[in-house]
Amino acid sequence: MRAHYGKVTAAFAMISALALSGCSAGGDSSEARGEAAPCEASDGPVELTFTTWVPGMDKVVDLWNADNPDIQVEVQTGPNGNSGTYQNFFNQIQAGNAPDLGQIEYDALPNFRVQDGLENLAGCEGVADAEDQFVDWTWGQVTFGEEDAVYAIPQDSGPMAMYYRADLFEQAGIEVPTTWEEYAAAAEQIKAEGSYITNFPKSDVNWFAGMVWQNGGQWFANDGESWDVNLTSPESEEVATYWQDLLSEDLVSTLPSFSDEWNASFNEGQQWTWVSAVWGATTLSTGAPDTAGKWAVAPMPQWEDGGEAAGNWGGSSTAVLKGSEHPAEAAKFALWLNTDPEALALANELGGLYPAAKSAADLESFAGGVEYYGGQKIYEVFSEASANVNPDFTWGPTMTQTYTDVSDGFGAAIGGSGTLMDALENGQQKTIDSLESQSIPVSE
Amino acid sequence: MTVTSTPAESPKVRPAARKSRSSGAQRRAVAMFIGPFALLFVAFYAVPIVYAIIQSLLTVEREGTFGAPQQVFGGLVQYQQVFQNTAFWQSVGRVLLFGAVQVPVMLGLALLFALLLDSPLLKGKKFFRLAFFAPYAVPGVIAAIMWGFLYSPSLSPFGAVTSNVDFLGAELVLWAIANIVTWVYVGYNMLIIYASLLAIPHEIYEAARLDGASNIQIAWRIKIPLVVPAIILTAVFSIIGTLQLLAEPQTLRSFSSAISSTYTPNLAVYTTASIPNYNLAAAFSVVLALATFILSFVFLKATQRKVSQ
Repeated sequence: MRAHYGKVTAAFAMISALALSGCSAGGDSSEARGEAAPCEASDGPVELTFTTWVPGMDKVVDLWNADNPDIQVEVQTGPNGNSGTYQNFFNQIQAGNAPDLGQIEYDALPNFRVQDGLENLAGCEGVADAEDQFVDWTWGQVTFGEEDAVYAIPQDSGPMAMYYRADLFEQAGIEVPTTWEEYAAAAEQIKAEGSYITNFPKSDVNWFAGMVWQNGGQWFANDGESWDVNLTSPESEEVATYWQDLLSEDLVSTLPSFSDEWNASFNEGQQWTWVSAVWGATTLSTGAPDTAGKWAVAPMPQWEDGGEAAGNWGGSSTAVLKGSEHPAEAAKFALWLNTDPEALALANELGGLYPAAKSAADLESFAGGVEYYGGQKIYEVFSEASANVNPDFTWGPTMTQTYTDVSDGFGAAIGGSGTLMDALENGQQKTIDSLESQSIPVSE
Repeated sequence: MTVTSTPAESPKVRPAARKSRSSGAQRRAVAMFIGPFALLFVAFYAVPIVYAIIQSLLTVEREGTFGAPQQVFGGLVQYQQVFQNTAFWQSVGRVLLFGAVQVPVMLGLALLFALLLDSPLLKGKKFFRLAFFAPYAVPGVIAAIMWGFLYSPSLSPFGAVTSNVDFLGAELVLWAIANIVTWVYVGYNMLIIYASLLAIPHEIYEAARLDGASNIQIAWRIKIPLVVPAIILTAVFSIIGTLQLLAEPQTLRSFSSAISSTYTPNLAVYTTASIPNYNLAAAFSVVLALATFILSFVFLKATQRKVSQ
């Protein structure tokens, strides 16, 4: 009896073990389709699905649906890209049931393209002519700098600047830093006051990339034959060493960003600055409501005295995912969504988007002062920053993996083993391994 | 254990025709009972396993920097990568350490609680049985979120402790997870052991008392030896659960900077599938399943030998 019981248990153990770990997804290999496929309008009414994580996007789409009875769009809301929506997209593309349209950040577009997940919209009506309507660098991101290629329509961008507690700086008699050198000096003074100048975000590697972007660095290059991976350039190293010093001297906190703990830290005045993107304006005002009126915005601190360079953090596009039966209608909707003044205004009001369309500069919502920031016209700062973003920044084809590996290394550095530079070196190697394991050519 | 009767056992000799009809009906009955299980088993267990094995034997080929991926047969290429992946094996080592500490602690507590519930001295058994079991009714993710708040330095109601002890730091976070897992599963394991205690005939206790055994002696010499099979069962489940650890560390990642994307083997599988590198993720899964099977099997063999001695 006992031996028998044991066998049953063993069999059950094996079955559960296999079953529980056997749930990996996948699908048939999809054949490569020709570039710039013909993009013909469908006959009759069309229904499209659109997955996004911008709050209030359903209201914006309602505007479209009211005017376009023949092209009805249904909005599905997902989590932030790297927090789950991209995984879903990849799985859906593999399974052949992806939504027609999806929100994809610029840094993830190469990843989707390399997985053959994007429809080339260059042949769709009105798409190629829309180039002039968008900020130059965002258009570069969706075309990959190629002829006859438009893989998504730019939605918004994330030019960076520095949010700071104007009241605290003034009370303490500390100058608002304009260079990174001054920033480090201010960090020491603020620490002496018992607070932190900012939080180092371990998992926001795209924030770190924005810092490298500002410093004139590049992480990837693609010459059409192979990828060049360069996470450890002198520009990256300068940024990594700088933040490592702040970390080593315990001048910055290391809370998981966008967590409740992180919000509380801002709300309670523990954080004096946040170098962040334009969309961060809403993050701050909702996360730290008690500090309303005390914040202000200044340009990013500079590496060189008198410089004007700005980085970019985030920003999304609206892409038509592979397998959509109605790319022409989907492209038409995506163009409207990202250029129509009424849609842009509502997306800004409800979702805090800073549109990639040039016409956005004329929008009323960007003209006035913002109460939370003491009435400052903060969008003037961001508009200037946007003009100073280096237009040629290339993202790699496995950014999800690069981010994860670098973030793991950052976490280790925070925990005291290794440095941020070690994390970049490790991320470099892991990225090359990851590219090679998927037969993506790498030049070394 | 099986209850099929053979004609040899039957005292009467049945007519041949009736026998075949009855065995046909029996076969139908067996099919009816097994059918639903077999269908679900094939659809949700067998097919995914075979699919994962197939996926793990494929590799991706493409031309140029943006060439479309094509899956081709790659033999054991993915497995070669699995064995070269230090992060994955570190995560396996981490959960083994976790299991070596957490499983004995949890089962020890479960056994203690079960014995207390079974002891004639305890009052309010129904209340305690429910109270110990209640955490199991809380979904793992919710439990992790709740404990995440309890551990956070500035959000915790026990700020005096959490601002001095960094439960979410690199050194302690593994044990912070162990605490959550223990909290959730102690009651569940307790119930299995308790059920097994209830099945022991009371005559044995009476006999022991007549021989002058105290309650502690009864527990130590009679109850514990008789519930060893139940303890082994819970141990196997716990070993499997440990190797499959995912929800708690994944949830705590939003509270702690110390949990990497490859902290546990299942997290590594999840992260790899998100790249997406389905083939490598499938190979990880297959290796993990085999490792779990081997470990459970070795544990059973080792304990069986002990029991039969």
